[in-house]
Amino acid sequence: MELSNIHLVAGLGFALAVVFGAVANKTNFCTMGAVSDWVNMGLKGRFGAWLLAMGIAVAGVQILDLGGWIDLTESIYRTSAFGLGGYIIGGLMFGVGMTLSGGCGQRTLVRVGSGNLKSLVVFIVLGLTAYMTLRGIIGVARLAVIEPLSIDLADHGMEEQGLSTMVMHMTGSETTSGIRWAFAGIVSVVLIGLALSIKELRSDFNNLLAGIVVGAVIIGAWIITGIIGYDDFDPVPLEGLSFVAPIGNSISYLMTYTGATITFAIAVVFGVIVGSFIYALASGTFRIETFSQRGDMVNHLVGGALMGIGGVLSLGCTVGQGVTGISTLAVGSFIATISIIIGSAITMRVQYHRMDELGKISSLTAGIADILIPWRKLS
Amino acid sequence: MSDVTKELDTSGLNCPMPILRAKKALKELQSGEILRVTATDPGSVKDFEAFAKQTGNELLESTTEGESFIYKLKKS
Repeated sequence: MELSNIHLVAGLGFALAVVFGAVANKTNFCTMGAVSDWVNMGLKGRFGAWLLAMGIAVAGVQILDLGGWIDLTESIYRTSAFGLGGYIIGGLMFGVGMTLSGGCGQRTLVRVGSGNLKSLVVFIVLGLTAYMTLRGIIGVARLAVIEPLSIDLADHGMEEQGLSTMVMHMTGSETTSGIRWAFAGIVSVVLIGLALSIKELRSDFNNLLAGIVVGAVIIGAWIITGIIGYDDFDPVPLEGLSFVAPIGNSISYLMTYTGATITFAIAVVFGVIVGSFIYALASGTFRIETFSQRGDMVNHLVGGALMGIGGVLSLGCTVGQGVTGISTLAVGSFIATISIIIGSAITMRVQYHRMDELGKISSLTAGIADILIPWRKLS
Repeated sequence: MSDVTKELDTSGLNCPMPILRAKKALKELQSGEILRVTATDPGSVKDFEAFAKQTGNELLESTTEGESFIYKLKKS
């Protein structure tokens, strides 16, 4: 039987995601943990792993794009629809959500694979709310409230939201191929340089491994959907690794299996779970975890919903926007990623102040002040 | 457990809560006093190692008891 294009792409995506899941489990790669280490302990090792992944992905993916192998303006990140409200509001919601529920989309999948049933609950809630925001009842509110906050760059003379396109347009110059190469080079060098300037990254094998493998996997994803899967007669969408909408689509796929078609993104979701599961079994770390506290369950449910809704509004999660989106150099991806980090960091400070028995409002203002105006920390 | 000044149970909670609670509890201790933390999150093993290294509070013990992870931190 000849393999159809979509099955080839999905099969390769699955294999790539198995590697991702196993490595993410082994190295404890966690973007929420990265923010927590930094905010709560002053440790930047895991944050460095994330920056390194971004830098490697930018380098590889920009070479693919500028070299003419793929066209990133066909991806969802580099459109002219600049959803500013969604990037910021959705990003903040996602950041709060991932902190309440023990990790972002990829971390949820990794934890499901290692036996965490709390994360299985997050998986289901995240998937359902993501789907409801894409196509269901929350989508009505999205169209009414968030869509009007979107700017069509075409009205302002820009075809798309690539970093070089937007910066050069603002300075009134033309974006030449040389300028695109220069922007790509500078961003990747700055990201990798920033990452390697962190001692806790350089001295920790797991952090280095996580950064390199995640960056390489993102490049691999674009190669699979953009080059291997490129077919005029049987096209597949050009996409990288992303987890929020795909978790929703995975649940829908399982429920409508006989009438549904596999996609790259759905195969990736299952691949990450399987990769993590294999690593957990091999390393003897598989362990069933359940809720044992009422407040913890409430946090996970609320967090899952915030990630599902926020992740759709911001067009992606800490990997979808935070590595894949950034690898395309879309300006919206940088805004969404920074919003996610701010939302997460503020939540951690609020949680900390809440332990001082500060009231809800005082904790919130103190937490926001800690992150946004750190030089005048409230006592 | 006569040497333990304060007990903290973070069972059922996961990152970042065990670290946040330990940080808060240590704030209320005097230098040299010992905090014993119980956790069930497997990720807490690495978190407490890093926390001790970074904050200078010595990790005297990191053991398991049944399904739980037990840490003893000495306030610097």
